[in-house]
Amino acid sequence: MDATTEGGTSYLSDIAPDAELDCVGLYCPLPIARTKEEIENIEVGQVLKVEADDPAAEEDIARWAKRAGHQVLKFDKSGNLMTFWIKRLK
Amino acid sequence: MSTILYVQTSGVDTPERTYAPFILGTTARAMDIEAEIFFMIKGITILKKGEAEKVKIGSFPSLKDVIDQAIKAGVKLYICEQSTQLFGMVRGDFIPDAKVAGAGTLNDLSLDADSVITF
Repeated sequence: MDATTEGGTSYLSDIAPDAELDCVGLYCPLPIARTKEEIENIEVGQVLKVEADDPAAEEDIARWAKRAGHQVLKFDKSGNLMTFWIKRLK
Repeated sequence: MSTILYVQTSGVDTPERTYAPFILGTTARAMDIEAEIFFMIKGITILKKGEAEKVKIGSFPSLKDVIDQAIKAGVKLYICEQSTQLFGMVRGDFIPDAKVAGAGTLNDLSLDADSVITF
């Protein structure tokens, strides 16, 4: 992950998402599949907040975003719960 | 630097198939090549806590020793934890050196690697 996605208390900590997706309890590949569906429901430039607790999602969603051409603005991990703020770029 | 990705689908029930990715990966590191092993399907049984200690075949050292050597050399390990659901295994019972990852990661690693070798 790049510098803008590390840590949970960055200057981006108060990002207001345009949509939210709850993937808690879902396992690979569902967090990626659901995130892809939801990001297509927001506009380019808007932000999707995704929560997940499948440990595979940490690596998977970061790599999916890069491959799909979107930007993980921020990543936060608290215990098993991970939160991604993903900006739709195209 | 070049990267080789090894995909291990075979498990401890076929011990003769478990050594190669670690030995190749350790050798790759000695050749200044990045080495990654992705464990999936039965391959995940190799990284279950306490399993590698039980594997030793022929004149080879124990599988545990070969794994430790690979980790020390900088071979990166990824594990498809979702494969546990094929066999009724419990999640989260794996050595901590392996990073839990999934389908997106394997696809990404394979495209980024210069070569993919499957066991």
